[in-house]
Order: sequence, then structure tokens, then C-alpha cells
Amino acid sequence: MVAQAFFVGVFGLAAIGFGVAVFRTASMVRSALALLFSQAAVGCMFLAMQAEFLGVLQIMMMATEMSIMAIFMVMFMMDPGGLGGMDMSHQKRFSIGAGAIAATTAISVALFSDWGPIFAEAPDAAMQTRELGFEMLDRSMLIFETAAITILTAMIAATAVAIPVRQPGVDTGKLDKENGDKEQEASK
Amino acid sequence: MTVAIVLLTLLVGAWLLAVIEAWLTTGRLRPVAPLLAGLSHLGRESILARKPDRLFFETAPVLLLVVAVLGAAVLPLTPDLVIADLATGALFLNAVLAYVLVSLIMAGWGPNGAYAMIGGWRFLGQLIAYSMLIVMPITATAMRAESLLNSVIVESQAGLWNIVYQPLGFVLFFIAAMALAFRSPFDLPTAPGELAGGVDAEYTGVRLTVLRLARLVMLITLSAATTVFFLGGWQGPLLPPWAWSLIKTLAVAVSMLLVGYYLPRIREADLLGWCWKFGIPLALLNILIVGLLILVVP
Amino acid sequence: MMTEVATTLAGARKGRPSILRRWVGQALARNLSCLVVPGPEVALAHGLNLAAADMRIAATPRDATVLLVVGELSQKLDEATAVLYAQMPRPRAILVLGGSEPSSLPKADVSADLSQTELMEAATRLQRLLAEDAFAASPDDFDSSILQTKTEYVCPMHPEVVEDEPGSCPKCGMDLVAREAGGDADAGEHDHSGHGHGDHDHGDHDHGSSGFMSMVEVTKDLPRSADGLAMDWLEVPFGPCFPGLPGGLRLTLTLDGDGVTEGQATSLVAMGTPSEEVAVETFIERLAAATPLAPVSYRLLACRAIEQAAGLEPDPAVERGRAAALERERIASHLGWLAQLGRQLSFVWLTRRAAALQLETQRADGEQLVVLRPALQALIARLEHTPLLKARLKGIGALPHGSQDLRGPVARASGRTEDARQADAMYCELGFELYIEGAGDAWARFRQRHVEIVTSLDLVEAAGDPELPKLRAIDSPSGTGEATVETPRGRSTLQLTLERGQVVSVELDGACRQHIGLAADLVEGQELGDALVAVGSLDLSPWEVSS
Repeated sequence: MVAQAFFVGVFGLAAIGFGVAVFRTASMVRSALALLFSQAAVGCMFLAMQAEFLGVLQIMMMATEMSIMAIFMVMFMMDPGGLGGMDMSHQKRFSIGAGAIAATTAISVALFSDWGPIFAEAPDAAMQTRELGFEMLDRSMLIFETAAITILTAMIAATAVAIPVRQPGVDTGKLDKENGDKEQEASK
Repeated sequence: MTVAIVLLTLLVGAWLLAVIEAWLTTGRLRPVAPLLAGLSHLGRESILARKPDRLFFETAPVLLLVVAVLGAAVLPLTPDLVIADLATGALFLNAVLAYVLVSLIMAGWGPNGAYAMIGGWRFLGQLIAYSMLIVMPITATAMRAESLLNSVIVESQAGLWNIVYQPLGFVLFFIAAMALAFRSPFDLPTAPGELAGGVDAEYTGVRLTVLRLARLVMLITLSAATTVFFLGGWQGPLLPPWAWSLIKTLAVAVSMLLVGYYLPRIREADLLGWCWKFGIPLALLNILIVGLLILVVP
Repeated sequence: MMTEVATTLAGARKGRPSILRRWVGQALARNLSCLVVPGPEVALAHGLNLAAADMRIAATPRDATVLLVVGELSQKLDEATAVLYAQMPRPRAILVLGGSEPSSLPKADVSADLSQTELMEAATRLQRLLAEDAFAASPDDFDSSILQTKTEYVCPMHPEVVEDEPGSCPKCGMDLVAREAGGDADAGEHDHSGHGHGDHDHGDHDHGSSGFMSMVEVTKDLPRSADGLAMDWLEVPFGPCFPGLPGGLRLTLTLDGDGVTEGQATSLVAMGTPSEEVAVETFIERLAAATPLAPVSYRLLACRAIEQAAGLEPDPAVERGRAAALERERIASHLGWLAQLGRQLSFVWLTRRAAALQLETQRADGEQLVVLRPALQALIARLEHTPLLKARLKGIGALPHGSQDLRGPVARASGRTEDARQADAMYCELGFELYIEGAGDAWARFRQRHVEIVTSLDLVEAAGDPELPKLRAIDSPSGTGEATVETPRGRSTLQLTLERGQVVSVELDGACRQHIGLAADLVEGQELGDALVAVGSLDLSPWEVSS
């Protein structure tokens, strides 16, 4: 029990530490990977709290997600290497306020919620996985399916919005021109 | 004790594969060559590129090695010889393998060189190509075993190995494993003729030794994973379980080396295109077929 | 040339010799990896088998212990080599084979003549040197004026702000970042934010009232690539000693992610025009040495031009042997290209097989070539059916319509009936028939070369034993002569004027003169891998380009 609390604490502090590092570095890539390790530390907290499946899943998902974020940073930001010593924090007063409110809310929810009876022993990992599976394909199925479809729709919509509108006949670039030509041919 | 045995096995395996790889490229069988290469790297200057991201540059090779070893830690070589037979073993392997990508991004970004950087981001660009084809065939094997415990997955193949039960999954996993270990013909992040070594290009000395060792251990881990998920793991007649595990793992690793030896590097666009258009639908089909088989065949 | 052994290793690493260091030195000596300058294909063309001398070919200077210089280097390549040498980690050694020592480098540790036996001996000496002297208490530092670069300071956000001193940007107040000024020779080192291309100017823009830098505003005037994304462009040099490209060729690509926005190929070893008068024999030797990838062809070209100037009629018996030698070189050259393709695509089997066959072909007489035929045909048959290879080459590097003055296999693969051999009476007698692929892409060039290997085999069989072209007996004639030879890479024409046995003026039209300019069109808008395959498929010889 003591060891468990110790590791939860250590990984929690690591998560906070990496979280701070996200804003303390000038490099976009470092920032993204610091966020990755912060989230991976949260995954380790799950592991320390004997929620094996959730922990491993968190560690797995974050690796690819944050890597993808890193490449978007590099693609869209000037000076992604932070050679110019850019400050990562913006709108400081507002963010400090928002952060304080969010933290207070989270802490009060943690302290004042009725978490129900405490189990002496967590079910073993295999059992947890099994129960999680039943949960997801039973009561929560509709929620997850809805969420999945929503995300998919959002991805397709975002891609569609990001593609520049092509008007036939307007020479906005090589690619556009070729497409325009094709469309003209199609309209004939 | 188990840890020591597994680590030693990985080291010996890495040495053996290095010998075979050198045999293929030079035509000479020199058992001491990998040791000499390692020793000579130790004595060479370790050059740091100008304005590197030092943290990433130093971390990347070590992270890759740690990832490869952690992956091997959940794979049972015999019913008893496994460092941690986790209840989420199959998923854990996926989670660990996702960090190969992180390591390559670090190795690509760290040295502040164009070739390395392109190599690193290339690997990210190919993410869908290999990661989906790792995850989905493993899912199908876990379905058959009705467990994520790797040892149970091995035991579920007692009657019929998964390579026969779900050949489609095996082929897809084999290809994806080669891509994930960035072996030729999928060596896009290193690509000697295109990027002059890519993510390897700026590493010298001890760091390069670690990086090369990590790549070899990675190959063994992925071969062992292929063995566990599709080739019935330690099972086989006559020989003891550890021997079967070893033979199968080595056979898979050597076949991967041979495939790379006889093929030119794949086009980047082709790999991604084929995986989206054929690989992922086929992997889904595999899951569907296995699902039907489980329901229909008692 | 005198062979000599240097007393200590020029590129030793600092450290007093100890037992451990001795072991390391011995390990290094038994694990030689060399960076070949100008390139492995030149070593092969000279008939050098590095693997037999226990040497591995390194892809990068970082991976190399030995800098292996093959033949004479041009001034530009000499300087580029110094940069490569500086990038090699110590302990490092220099081995010069045939040719004078490069002036920009420290004294060569071992130098020898250009032959396999000399190479083997030199490798042994080099091993002994490395084993003993890899570490020295006070090694000399390598520093050369070529390596000196000027540092300038730029703003990461505003490429137009360039200062000589560190400080902050007058426009946005960010710290200025040090950058190397104009140092394009340095292949390995580039800033991530490589704003080196400086030919765009995105003017003045304010960051809005909040002080928040909007990426839309910052990138709105940046040049866009075909996919419409505004990204940082990197100008990356490939070459002159890049593993996937012919040595001596520098391909400068502007990269937009993994795509090539534009590119430019230049030769660092292009032939200059000789200024002084030389004797005919010397001229022939020099021309052959200046074109290491097709020495026989250019030797033949020189012989023919001189003989014509001297007014000699072609002698059928001599021409027969010469044709056979030319065709043998064509086979070897095409095999060398296949080995190069293998190196580019990490196709190890092809690299080994093609290189081995090339070495055998170079040495073979007529009968031995007949013996080699099945092996060559097996190689070709196998390549046509190798998975992934067709996907890799098909549709890549298609030449634009109306490309002018294409020559050799490149022209014939685009459906042109362009071959100097057609006009040659000797070839008609030998039963030469022109083969033409139509598609004009890398796959067509690949197949064109396959068919030409077989055609050349037929020709050698019909012509008999190859004989190295030698100048027929002439005394000191005067006059002008012109000759054309279909070299492995295409038609090459030489015009020269003789005065009393001295060559006084020369005009050479090398086979790759036009092809090098095609590279820019072929790479534009391609993915990096495809761009390199496209350039590789031209089989450029940077030597056969007039500067």
C-alpha cells in the first residue's frame, strides 16, 4: 500500500514536471514530447493504481498522438527548433486565472464527491480487462460508437475544409490549374 | 535470473544476426566481426553536430534499446521463461512498439541535420502503414485465445498454429514487423542511398554502437513476437520448449534479413498507399474471418 | 609511383597508447570502412574489388575510417573532399590510389598505384598503421581554409533580418540565431529552420494588437509547394560523394518536407579545355584518365580522331578488335549502373551480383565473355521479375516531350533512333540492330540497358577478342580530324587539330553534356526517393560533361 502510494506520487510529480516543461522550453518538438511524457506518466499512475489495461492503453495512445502533434508543430510553426528562444506562454493573466479555477474545481470534485465504498482488493488485471470489455460492448457501447462517428466526421470535415476551394479557370498554382483543367474537361 | 537469461539471449541473438547480415552483404562469414565493430566504435571520436538538441540526441539510441528489451520482456520463451507475463501482454507489446516512433523522431530531430530529420519524419509519415498492421493481426490472435496474456495466446495454438489458422494475419504482421524494425526493403528512415543513413547519419562512436545494437534487438523482439503470435511459440515435438522458441525466432529473423537482401527499397508512397488500400481492409477481413471461425467452429 | 609508408597516422586520436587503446586500434584495423572518393562506381570501373581487400564501403563520412581517393581529383572535388575528411571521426586515415595527393588534405597515410594487387598491399599497410598509431599523444589537428566559414545572425521569424553580430531582431525582438554564411559544402550540418534560400521576401507584417504571432499571417507570403502547405524549405546538397548518386555529381535540392521543390545538378569533375600543346600519346592517356567511367571509349575516340587527322583509312582488322573492346566496356558500364542502382535502393543482392559481373567482364576476352553470357542473362531475367523494382521505376523520371539532344540509352529508351553505331560500316557487318524502348521513363531506361547488354554480347561474339585501342603508327602529321563514338552513355564527338604530332586544339562533345541539365526537370515536384531514382536512371557521368 505504501509502495503503491509512493509510485502514484512519483509518477504524479513526473506528470506535473513534464507538464511544466511543455511551457518552459522554446522548442516545439521538445514541447510536444514533454507533453507525451507527461501523459505517459499519467499512464504509469494508472499502472501504479492497478488499472493495468487503462495504463497501457494510455501509454500506447499518447506515443502516436503526441508524435503527430509534434510534426504539425514543425510543419506550421516558424522556428520549431526554438533557436530564437521563443516564449511558449501566451495571454498569461487569462491562463493563470483559468488554470487556478480549473485546479480548484478538480480538487474540490476530488474532495467532496461521494466515491462510494472502498474496495479492499482490486480485481486482478485479467478480470478488469474482461469487465472493461463487457462494459464497452454493453452499456457504454452507444456512447463510444457515437463518439467514434463524431470524431470521424470531424476529421473528414476538417480535411475537407482545409483543402483550398478550386475554381476552374483561376490560376492559383500548378495543382489547382491541373484540377481546373480536369473539371473543364468533365463539364464538356 | 529470468531477466539475465533473456538479456543474454537477446545479446547472443543480436550477435548472431549481425554475423549473418555481414555474411549477406560481404559474402564472408566472420564470427568476430560484430565484436570488432563494436570495439572499434568504442574507440572512435563521438562527434556532436552543431546546435543539436542534445537531450534528444543522447536519449534516442537508449530509448530504442529500452523499447526493444521491454518488448522482449513480455514474450514467453517457455511457459516459465518470461520476465513479466502481463494480463495485458499483447496490448503492452503494442504500447512499447509505439515508442520506436518516438525514438526515431528524437534521433531524427536531435542531430540538427537535414538527412536525419527527413528520415525521422518519414517514419512518422508511414505510421498508418505499419502500426495498424501490427495491432490488427495481434487483435485477431487475442480473439482466438480469448486473452491478452501472451502465454495463453501461445497455448491457444496447441492444436493449430495461427499461421495456418489465420495466414492473412501472419503475412500482414510479418510485413509490418519488418517496416517497424525499418529493415530493408522498408528502410525508409535510414535509406542509405537516399538519405545517406538518415537517422543513423550523424551518430558515431558509442552512440552508434547502441543504435545498431538496438536495431538488432528490435529485430529479435519482433521475430519473437511473430513466433509467439503465429508460430505456436515454444510448442513443437521432440526438442525442449526453449529450443523451439529459439529456432523459430531465428528462422523468422533470418527470413526477414533474406527478404531485405533480395528486394529493392519500396517507394514511400507505395507503402502508404498499399497499406491504406489493401493492408487495412485485409486486416479487418482477417479479424472478421477469425471471428466467424470462432463462432462457427466449436 | 613510389610506395611509401608514413611514420604516424595523420588523423590519429588524442590519447596515450594503453592496452585498451591498442585493442581498439587492432579492432579498427580489422574493420576498415572506407569512404570512396569520387565514388564506389569509379573504383569498380578501375577494376578495384574493395571487398576482396577486406574493406567495407561506408555510406557517410561519419561511418568511415579510411578516406579512399581513387585517381586524380579536380580542384573542386579536392576541396569538397577536405570537408568530408573533416567530418570523419578520428582515428581516420587517408589512402590515395593512383594520382597525386589531394592538396586540401593532410599528407596521405598510404599511397599506391591503381591496381588490385597494390590495393591489397596498401590495405595491409593501412591496417598495420591503424593498429599501431590509432592513438597518439599529440596528434596534428586538421584545419584548412576551406573549412572556415563566416557566421551571421538571422531572426528565426524574419529571414530578411541578417546581422553580423548577435543581438535581438529589430522587428520582433526575438534572439537572433547564428547561421553559417553560404557554407553549402557542408552536407551534414543544416539548421532545422534552414531559411537559407533567401530568394523570397515576405515583406512587413505586424503581429496584430495582442502580440500573438498568428501563423496564418507569418506564413501567408511564403512560397507554396504543390500540396498548398507553407512549410520551411531546406536547401540540401546531395553529393559530390553521395551513396545513391554518381561520384563527382552534386545535386542541390530544395526540399519541402519529403518533396523536392526544385533541384540543380552540377558536376565537380567536368573536363576543362586543355590549354597547352601535348603530344598525341599523352593526349590519349589524359583523355582516358579524365573519363574514368568509360576510358576505352574515349581512348578509341581520341585514336580515331587522330588517325583521321593523319589521313589514315580505317583498318577492318583493327576496327574489329576495337569494336569488341567498346562493346565489352558497354556491358561493364551498364553493369556498373545496375550496381549503382542497387546501392541507391539498398538492393544488396543486385549490388554484389552486378559488381562481381562487372569486374569479370572488364577482364574477360572474347571467349570468357561467351562463358559469362548465361550469368548475365540470368541476372537480367531475374531483375525483370524482381518484386517492387518495377513499381519503383515505372513512370518515374519520364522525360518531357521535346527534350533536345538526348543521347545513348536515355534517347533510345525515349523512342529515338539515335545511335552512332548505325552509321558505322563495321557494325553493319557485325549484324548490329537497333533496339528501342518507347516509354521514356526509368523503367524503360532500365530495360533498354538490359537489351543493350545482350546486343553487345552478340556483337562481341561476332567481332572476336577485344583489343584495347592503340594509336596506329603515325609520324608527326598535321591536320584536323573528327570522330564520333557511341560510348556507353551516348554519342561523343571529338574534333582536334594536329600540328607536327602535337595536339593544338581540341573540341570535345561529351556524352552527358545535355543530360546533366535534364536533372532539374526530372526532380521538380517529385518525392525525394523518386527524384533520386530519376536522376540515377540517367546514368550521368559527371566527367563526360564539358565545363
